[in-house]
Amino acid sequence: MKLPRGRLDKSRVVTDLRDTLADVLDRELTGYAVFESQETLLLDGEGRGVITFTDGVPVLAYHTGTDRGGPPALADLAVPGPYHVSLYALDAADLESAHGAGELQVPPGMPAERLGGDPALADSTRRAAPDERLSAMGDGDAAVPGDGTAEQSAVEAFLDDAEKIEAIKQQARSEARERAQEWDF
Amino acid sequence: MVEVFAVASGKGGTGKTTSTVALGMALSDRYDVTVVDADTGMANLLFHAGLSDAETTLHDVLADDAPVEAATYDRFGLTVVPCGTSLDGFRDADPDRLRDVVATLAKDTDIILLDSPPALDSRTAVLPIVLADRIVVVLQPTIPAISDGLKVQEYATTYDTDVAGLLFNKVRESESIEQVSEKTERYFDGPTLASVPESERAREARRAGRPLLAHAPECEAASAYREAAESLTVRNGAAADAADRFQSAVIPESL
Ligand SMILES: Nc1ncnc2c1ncn2[C@@H]1O[C@H](COP(=O)(O)OP(=O)(O)O)[C@@H](O)[C@H]1O
Ligand SMILES: [Mg+2]
Repeated sequence: MKLPRGRLDKSRVVTDLRDTLADVLDRELTGYAVFESQETLLLDGEGRGVITFTDGVPVLAYHTGTDRGGPPALADLAVPGPYHVSLYALDAADLESAHGAGELQVPPGMPAERLGGDPALADSTRRAAPDERLSAMGDGDAAVPGDGTAEQSAVEAFLDDAEKIEAIKQQARSEARERAQEWDF
Repeated sequence: MVEVFAVASGKGGTGKTTSTVALGMALSDRYDVTVVDADTGMANLLFHAGLSDAETTLHDVLADDAPVEAATYDRFGLTVVPCGTSLDGFRDADPDRLRDVVATLAKDTDIILLDSPPALDSRTAVLPIVLADRIVVVLQPTIPAISDGLKVQEYATTYDTDVAGLLFNKVRESESIEQVSEKTERYFDGPTLASVPESERAREARRAGRPLLAHAPECEAASAYREAAESLTVRNGAAADAADRFQSAVIPESL
């Protein structure tokens, strides 16, 4: 995915991507976000995730580590935070050619569901999306408000990845041990 | 006898505070229950328990300006220790005093529920989990909530705190939660205590400043909390050494 660099709007560490997605929607940002998990040691979370937005509504998702786009890129990004997030603002015209790449598209509410874990935010994102974005995505991908089937299978797919979950647990344990010394309990 | 539970989740907004109060009320049929707002940086239990105008709160106790007794309120059949919401109050509070607070409360109650912060990024945020005997993990059926919940569990067990069980909250009708909860249980050290549906009653209760079980005791969400309370087997800690236990709760030596 090729994008002009744009104007840096915000750059910071966040623990909950929900807050970033809510902020982008609230401010109707047009541009893109770059996400980098701070805890990529044991997880194959290396690389960065990129999500583009038009008026605060997600359009494309891409992961540089796995070179996957669309919903699979969101699965690659779904590792525990904190994350370093940078937001860049662009003119709508600068996104036009990138947004033509249909295979990288995600349903508008899907990042809020899968990265933000907030179905209510997903609902408001879908409400803010233009009609053609909702109908274009077809059935079964949670583009339809209230259709939780696709979301549930994404959760189940995550839970079927025993290796990834073991890595999350192992990472948490080693972090907990390190912190115990740092915090001097 | 006393057992201390931290009601925890790695993520904000999953319903920890709602669940702390609801589980507390459901358990109060059988036990003497004390609930403490241990989310001292973003306290909001007071708004759930009709205590928004409480004069003395946990902040004052943690600042050594008041004894614990001055910050306890009898509400809805519970002993409630609310926390203040001001930044000054948070700044002046010494989080380590929470040990003494728990030790003092432990002398006179059966169950203590600690409403915990949605983070693991500071000593203050993790202390309730360290102090607790067991955690109740509040999850929404979403990927981030489950993976953050796993993180909380691993912190807890590393610090010698067990897992009492999982509470799925805000479960939507479209979700068949059984498959998700069964798969989730494979990775957690405790069973699913209940699945609480997403409920307009819960939001109403919060707006009315009343606990869900007082506002709409007959609703589905309320009965899910009663079911959770029933499936929780409370362990008998020895009352005599309770105070000692919490004052000296530390990370195990082996670390
Ligand atoms: N089962 C539920 N259905 C609908 N809304 C809920 C439910 N449980 C909690 N809520 C609402 O979600 C919001 C966050 O709940 P809260 O208990 O404060 O979460 P936390 O303490 O984890 O941040 C509140 O507005 C609350 O009323
Ligand atoms: Mg809370």
